[in-house]
Amino acid sequence: MKKIVSPILILALLHVQSVWATQAQPVPIPDDQSTTPQLSIGGVGAATLNYSKTSSHGNGEAGVNFSDSALLVGAAQRLGDGKGIGSTGLGWLTLDETNEGKTTQLFLNQAFLDYQSEKFEALIGRADNPTAHLVDFPTIRGDDLVTLSNPLDPFSDGRNAEEHRYSNVASVTTNQGLKYFQNFHVQHLINTSGSGTETGINAFGATFEYLGPPGMEAFQRVPSWGLGFQHFLLDSSHGLHQVFAGGTINLNESVTNRWDFRIQNIVTFGSALRSFSSATDSFRGDSNAVTIAIRYLSNPFGQLGYQLSLTGGYRNYFSIDDSRSIGAALTGVKRLGQGFDLVGQYQGQSRDRSLAAVQSNGVKYEQTLEVGFVFSFESTINPHLTPRRTLLNQQHQYIPN
Amino acid sequence: MSKKSEGKEDIRCDDPALTRRDFISLAGVGGAAALGVGMLASAPAQAVTAVKNSHKTMGVAGGKTEGWTNTFNPASTNPLYPPRDAPKPGEKIQEFEIELGISVHEILPGVKIHGFTYNGTYPGPEIRVTEGDWVLVHFKNNSPEFHTIHWHGIMVANEMDGVPNGTQWGVGPGQTFKYLFRAQPSGTHFYHCHNMTNLHVQAGMFGSLIIEPKDDLVRRVFPYTREYTLLLNEVDTVRVEREMEEMVRMMGSMQKMNESPKLMREMNGRMMGWFVDKKAFVEAVKSGYIPPYVSSRRGQNPTPNFNYFLINGKSYPMTDELLIRSGENIRVRLVGAGAMSHFMHLHGHDFWHVAQDGAPLAAPVRLNTVAVHPGTTTDIIIQGTNPGMWHFHDHSDLSTTNNGVFPGGMMTMLMYEDASEHGVKVPEIVQVSS
Repeated sequence: MKKIVSPILILALLHVQSVWATQAQPVPIPDDQSTTPQLSIGGVGAATLNYSKTSSHGNGEAGVNFSDSALLVGAAQRLGDGKGIGSTGLGWLTLDETNEGKTTQLFLNQAFLDYQSEKFEALIGRADNPTAHLVDFPTIRGDDLVTLSNPLDPFSDGRNAEEHRYSNVASVTTNQGLKYFQNFHVQHLINTSGSGTETGINAFGATFEYLGPPGMEAFQRVPSWGLGFQHFLLDSSHGLHQVFAGGTINLNESVTNRWDFRIQNIVTFGSALRSFSSATDSFRGDSNAVTIAIRYLSNPFGQLGYQLSLTGGYRNYFSIDDSRSIGAALTGVKRLGQGFDLVGQYQGQSRDRSLAAVQSNGVKYEQTLEVGFVFSFESTINPHLTPRRTLLNQQHQYIPN
Repeated sequence: MSKKSEGKEDIRCDDPALTRRDFISLAGVGGAAALGVGMLASAPAQAVTAVKNSHKTMGVAGGKTEGWTNTFNPASTNPLYPPRDAPKPGEKIQEFEIELGISVHEILPGVKIHGFTYNGTYPGPEIRVTEGDWVLVHFKNNSPEFHTIHWHGIMVANEMDGVPNGTQWGVGPGQTFKYLFRAQPSGTHFYHCHNMTNLHVQAGMFGSLIIEPKDDLVRRVFPYTREYTLLLNEVDTVRVEREMEEMVRMMGSMQKMNESPKLMREMNGRMMGWFVDKKAFVEAVKSGYIPPYVSSRRGQNPTPNFNYFLINGKSYPMTDELLIRSGENIRVRLVGAGAMSHFMHLHGHDFWHVAQDGAPLAAPVRLNTVAVHPGTTTDIIIQGTNPGMWHFHDHSDLSTTNNGVFPGGMMTMLMYEDASEHGVKVPEIVQVSS
């Protein structure tokens, strides 16, 4: 659920600490059990009525899609030194109907612990890929056009798009002035292909990101941009590399009628593949993927706004013939109330023959028309922490609240 | 036109050691025209004020007061000086510079908040002038939010009252507003921002304004050399941070829009929720404007949950003590600057409640606990009659906590400097937990 409520936003809001009934381990010093952390619950409900012509819907079927609905709970607490905040989060999201009949249609996408101070943050656990939100594109669901717009998991078998967005992560992030962020991470990407490293760390990388002053995004020509590098340990002798960069550009000077443009480029190289034998191969082949989006946001003061956007993506493989893919999504969002939106989207993706053979059961052109509702919410109980990246903290001396 | 009151002449007395009976007698014998004083009841809330500023020119000094227990002057609330006067050549003007900015304020070790502060202090600086002085305050706003200064209890010209979008436009970022008024009436007063008052006062935008009378009845009756001003308020530290952030973001946006002619055209009353009149507001709602207070935009917004209770910006044990010596009188000016009532109780002593909202009471009232309600000022005289170290605190005990932990909050100590000379040996300890 990208622009409506991005997972990273939820993460930012839900700095949480565990208060589960059972203590995970004996504590070295008895705690003051009266301390109640800040508890948060947030999530997204997304349901659409779809008409699809896709690999799983043949020549056209209507259906209900409730995927990418998410629930995240957590707790956060100021730590003993007064300067740090410890938190934990646990979250699930719903999978689409391709998972029907399997043991679950829920995917554990968050299970992390986080420590943060003014200039440093460390996170460990299941969480969003550190590379996943360099640019968020304004489609309804996070996995829309995922093979074009996301850094891909070369260990995925392709049946679950969430594997490209979430992984087991250990990362540290430093920052300067809460504007420039450097993330260094190692990952255990979810391995459903059965190939390569079965366990242990199978990827590492770094990202650099600039985020403009919070709340002032409309007034900067480039309110956010970033770049990064990722290395994948396919097996003991082979590696794969990704470099990526992207950002958001405001096209006009306006607060109530905004036009912005997003662009991201992902280059994958280091593979010896010359043909596809599985979907996994399509996530490994040397390729170039470009995604762009143009968005119009009508945001009148004190009135419910709406958003129209067109997102387009293109991927071509350098060493594999007949493997290009191009896709687009035309998306409309009408805000009906605080956090509650009427949404509609048409998306289509075209694949060349050899790519379609491994990614879409040979269907060269998939398309979906959908209309529905999305509800994004977040609630905090016992609030006593304020976000780290605030204008006050940025511009008027940091206070570890 | 002479501004001197005949009544003031009448109450002069060379004997500083007046008893309470003397105080009442003096107040009562002056007569309705010159010194009409009444005492409706002993409760301070009902006490009427002694006449300081009778005005023959107002034509009401001789008005009928039959039916009241005691005589009083109905014109005694009239301004001593016409509020809309301007300084005349040669008249002295007391000038003050007040700059508003965002700074970090420490309530006590480990607890800091961002504040909107006058001259960088929480609360703002004390302004002390003499009744009748011209006061010129150069108020410069160095913060991104709109602010004003309201002169609470002062009989200013309407344009100087400091009510944004009421008597003036809010003072915007980088702007300077000059407040000019004549200091009247005398007594203990305070000033505060009148824009988003609850938030801005929590954030520190208030300070004391003491107008010394040319002849201080209280000082004559209770001679003192030391006095203390205690400004009382409360803070919801989480809410202050969050709402200040919201305001700073909003105003940061407006500031950016001010810098661009194109963006200026986008701004309209809806951005700030400003409309030219009720009709325009109603029409806007009909055309789709959603007011910020309705549940669809705000949910159910709880009232502030105050977790720190401050005296002069500090919570116990970081509050400043009141020092006294045996036989000494000290005057304590209490200011209800916040949103809650506080009930200040002194251990081991009774004290005299001598003035309310700046004006001397018709007669001092003997108390050991005095209510200080929001927007009021209360002057008390503490007499050094019982050497020791005595607590002076809000007896609404929610307010003697720091984030729920006792002791803390709105509490200080009356400390006798000569306590040991009288055999009192109280060890000095700092207690932050019970």
